[in-house]
Amino acid sequence: MAAVKETVETVGEIEKYKYGFFTDIESEKAPLGLTEDTVRFISAKKDEPEWLLEWRLAAFRRWQTMTEPTWAKVTYPPIDFQDAYYYSAPKQTVKLDSLDQVDPKLLETYEKLGIPLTEQKMLAGVAVDAVFDSVSVVTTFKEKLAEAGVIFCPMSEAVKKHPELVKKYLGSVVPSSDNFYATLNSAVFSEGSFVYIPEGVRCPMELSTYFRINEKQTGQFERTLIIADKGSYVSYLEGCTAPQRDENQLHAAVVELIAHDDAEIKYSTVQNWFPGDEEGKGGVYNFVTKRGDCRGENSKISWTQVETGSAITWKYPSCILRGDNSRGEFYSIAISNGRQQVDSGTKMIHLGRNTTSRIVSKGISAGRSSNTYRGLVSVHRKAENVRNFTQCDSLLIGDRCSAHTVPYIETKNPTAILEHEATTSKIGDDQLFYCMQRGIGEEEAVALIVNGFCRDVLQQLPMEFAVEAQKLVGISLEGSVG
Amino acid sequence: MLEIRNLHVTVGGKEILKGIDLDIRAGEVHAIMGPNGSGKSTLSYVLAGRDGYVVTEGSIRFKGKDLLEMNVDERAAAGVFLAFQYPLEIPGVTTMTFLKTALNAQRRARGEEELDAVRFLKLVREKSRPLNVSDDMLKRSLNVGYSGGEKKRAEVLQMSLLEPVLAVLDETDSGLDIDALKTVAEGVNALRSPERAMVVITHYQRLLDYIVPDVVHVLSQGRIVKTGGKDLALELEKSGYAEYGADAA
Amino acid sequence: MSEKATQHFIEVYEETRAALPGAGGWLARRREAAIGSFREAGLPHRRMEEWKYTDLRRTFEKASFGPAPVHEGAVVLPERRSASAFAAIDRHVLVFVNGRYRDDLSRAGHLPKGVELHALDDVLHEQWAKDLVERRFDDARQAENIVDLNTALMSDGACLRIRKGVKLDKPLHLLFVAQDAGASHTRNLVLLENEAEATIFETHIGEVASFVDVVTDIVIGDGARLNHVKLQDEAPDAVHLATMRARLAAEAKLSSFTLTLGCGVSRGQSFVLFSGEGAEASIDGAYALRNRQHADQFCVIDHAVPACTSHTLFKGVLDGESEGVFQGKVIVRPHAQKSDGRQMTHALLLSRDAAMNAKPELEIYADDVQCAHGSTVGELSKEAVFYLRSRGIPEAEARRLLVLAFLEEALDLAPHNQAKDALKLLVSEWFGEAAP
Ligand SMILES: Nc1ncnc2c1ncn2[C@@H]1O[C@H](COP(=O)(O)OP(=O)(O)OP(=O)(O)O)[C@@H](O)[C@H]1O
Ligand SMILES: [Mg+2]
Repeated sequence: MAAVKETVETVGEIEKYKYGFFTDIESEKAPLGLTEDTVRFISAKKDEPEWLLEWRLAAFRRWQTMTEPTWAKVTYPPIDFQDAYYYSAPKQTVKLDSLDQVDPKLLETYEKLGIPLTEQKMLAGVAVDAVFDSVSVVTTFKEKLAEAGVIFCPMSEAVKKHPELVKKYLGSVVPSSDNFYATLNSAVFSEGSFVYIPEGVRCPMELSTYFRINEKQTGQFERTLIIADKGSYVSYLEGCTAPQRDENQLHAAVVELIAHDDAEIKYSTVQNWFPGDEEGKGGVYNFVTKRGDCRGENSKISWTQVETGSAITWKYPSCILRGDNSRGEFYSIAISNGRQQVDSGTKMIHLGRNTTSRIVSKGISAGRSSNTYRGLVSVHRKAENVRNFTQCDSLLIGDRCSAHTVPYIETKNPTAILEHEATTSKIGDDQLFYCMQRGIGEEEAVALIVNGFCRDVLQQLPMEFAVEAQKLVGISLEGSVG
Repeated sequence: MLEIRNLHVTVGGKEILKGIDLDIRAGEVHAIMGPNGSGKSTLSYVLAGRDGYVVTEGSIRFKGKDLLEMNVDERAAAGVFLAFQYPLEIPGVTTMTFLKTALNAQRRARGEEELDAVRFLKLVREKSRPLNVSDDMLKRSLNVGYSGGEKKRAEVLQMSLLEPVLAVLDETDSGLDIDALKTVAEGVNALRSPERAMVVITHYQRLLDYIVPDVVHVLSQGRIVKTGGKDLALELEKSGYAEYGADAA
Repeated sequence: MSEKATQHFIEVYEETRAALPGAGGWLARRREAAIGSFREAGLPHRRMEEWKYTDLRRTFEKASFGPAPVHEGAVVLPERRSASAFAAIDRHVLVFVNGRYRDDLSRAGHLPKGVELHALDDVLHEQWAKDLVERRFDDARQAENIVDLNTALMSDGACLRIRKGVKLDKPLHLLFVAQDAGASHTRNLVLLENEAEATIFETHIGEVASFVDVVTDIVIGDGARLNHVKLQDEAPDAVHLATMRARLAAEAKLSSFTLTLGCGVSRGQSFVLFSGEGAEASIDGAYALRNRQHADQFCVIDHAVPACTSHTLFKGVLDGESEGVFQGKVIVRPHAQKSDGRQMTHALLLSRDAAMNAKPELEIYADDVQCAHGSTVGELSKEAVFYLRSRGIPEAEARRLLVLAFLEEALDLAPHNQAKDALKLLVSEWFGEAAP
């Protein structure tokens, strides 16, 4: 599998590289800008069937008529979508023996999603190619997964090997016309993961993909599709990092989850894209559409996210609770520091009877950042006995940051019981004093208290992931006190 | 070990300590008694380095160093421990995590090796058993939902784990039932050693039956008005603070 | 060219402006500017975030309101109890019919020295009136923009100024009666100088297809205190649009309570701006809706300075096909440390076809603050109903008791004891009418 990478970048200081090794990679690019030809080019490069090309083109035409959403509480200079590259792939394919060489690093990656900054650099040097290349994931676990009948492969491979599944489900949760960025993604997406868990199968291991925007040629428009057939279970982990660069990079991913009767999908993310420097220069624009469809009865979809990176985050992992008795969960920690801007939350759309949802959002703002929770709980007329509980807590560190809570609660059925609570506070001086009296340094004390504040969410993460996420909390807040 | 000279402290613009002199040598236990509002907790906070407690005059030297130059966690790592009159609650941080973070932070600051999970666990078990601190308590968020007595026992547990050089116990006996009082006193006594000094702030002679002090001070209106042996406490129990010019409010 | 409903109001303005108060003066110019902005913004609609749940454009597309006639004859108060809810309370009464002051019906009594009470026309030459009319809050522009319509068309209103340290001896009751179909635009101005105190009751009643547009601009000086109790109970084909803008100086206190028994479409907007430290505002309300009533409570509290306290509680019950809306926002500006902002909204859905939308927002730019909001929506607890029935209380009675108990928490916040009792009685009767 060739590593296929796309990127959109605001052109400007694109010649500045922080890491010399990037220049070593010879890559093949589509011409600058986005036209129908770019879309055809991508599709051809990936050797796609006609129907998919048509699907992309339809999305592209639609996209041309759309305008960027402006309702989120984020500000950034206009993105010139024509002044960017939409396709770039290394000419060289990673060889297996070279993969073997980087294997230990890769393993490290999987053990430590949510990588500390120092390790990021290390990884950037050697393991990156292998990491982009979702192949490694597949090769590592292929046999074991195949035994269970689980399909786990890059999207482009799925298009070829399992066209019927892709055709059936692609765009069935996030239609290609859904929103500006999802539509853009539909036109130009390439990599991403495809997961299918057959009926009755409990996926024998955690599946994980580690996304990385490596250099200017490797921005992300990945598309992930996870289908849990009747009575199946899967836990999927997603980690993201990007190296430091001056220009802003766009990451516009789409994730679609489908849970059939009695199936459960647990989707965890540790998002640590480069947040930009202290002055707000550079960093990733993370404009992501994630949605799960609890299509079957008694199905369950649970989103857990730890968002520490990105210059701008615009992201609302949602659940459509269609099947009766289905359940949606959203557990989120969003930490912003420096000049980061986060506008994130969830939507719980209750369509089926006895559907339940739970939202726990912990927002931590430090530095000069802005952190917004935006969420919708909506109960349709026919959804009987809906239950929702929402808890949104914001913690402010320092007096130059801000925290916002924008919940929408809409119900058309009297049997629904919806509860929403939100608080805003700061770390108590006396809590800090108490910790420090025990010998804990100020930064560590802040990290400790913040981790306590986030505990309800951290507990939702798979074990090793949780440990790393805790460390990440500390790292993300560095320089926010004193 | 600790030399306090002519210490004046203001809090919120108001002078609370008005010239304290106090010498504590290694191995000694000093009791400080005195009416409510006389400045006992203030003294303990100043030793620990709490913000907002402004030293306007005087000095504090600890083990030959200027304590006032050190920040809060440096003092802790140097061995100053304060058992709080009102221990703080930290939601979401388990007592276990807190203990480990504190112990390892201090060890790190002193250039000692950090304890790994296994050794740490063993140590905590060892220290918590005699204090009747259950595993369940250790797993709960620090001080959250602890009863008054449980909080005090948790403070003593922290002390015995962190093995300070100078321990200041601010009314660690209040809110304890008789059995807990004994347990806590035993915990404290177990820590008594020639290298270690203690300051026990209390309102009750009762505690001093268990933790027998070498010296007893009476603090009133921001000054040490009397210093004596352990019998002084007995005397106070009988006659109150009236003769020291304090009204009990 | 604006769309039809907007255009209608512009035409009304053009036809009537010569006859409106303040012609030829600063207000005429202000009106010109306001109608210009109104033309530009148009009537608010669903695609505007702050009107997401109340589409005034559609409301006025479906029903058009010409200016209500000047009514000079006798007035028969509607039979509704709301009309006489405060009758037993010793108070000054100003009556407005179709939005115009009727001296013959009013009983202002003898006012204490330092209390000045006038009709709008009489204070236009005064600077304070001009300041109040011209001031904008700009915390929620889409919502506040609709005030332009009022500024352009306002024809009358009560203007109260209380001098430093003076207390109004008894409540001032502003009774607005919609006697004939049509639109009225009223502007009330209230200025409490330092340490002054007043209690104002405000009642809106009517049994005709009226559009009542009322804006109340308030300034509360240092240490001054204003209590405000509002009752709104109008016809099923009426539209009610009320905006209160209040600025509070240091240590000032405002307690405002609104009972909304509603009309066809009603929207109550409250803007509170703290401009001095240590001030307190409590903006609360209860509503009981049925049939196809729609009521929207919109509330923005701006902690622009440190150490102020705000409290908002709205509780409502929704029967029939009614729809309730609560949109609230607490803003804490940078450096407004020690702010305390609390915002709660609770709704009970009594029928299958009722709906509730809530959007309680926090916008916080300072760290040393205590802010919280909460929202619940649900139906009457079945267990509670069962419990009461098991004690021999018939179901309808059990439900009534529980609903009243639910609303009581909010009603208790009405800042005048007799008024509070009067409102409780009304709510209890409202429930009686609901029995099928
Ligand atoms: N921030 C502050 N501003 C002004 N006065 C303060 C402040 N904090 C404490 N004080 C005052 O300082 C005095 C000493 O308080 P302190 O807590 O040291 O007394 P104490 O001797 O420990 O009393 P107790 O026996 O009740 O624990 C009290 O009068 C208290 O009210
Ligand atoms: Mg004390």
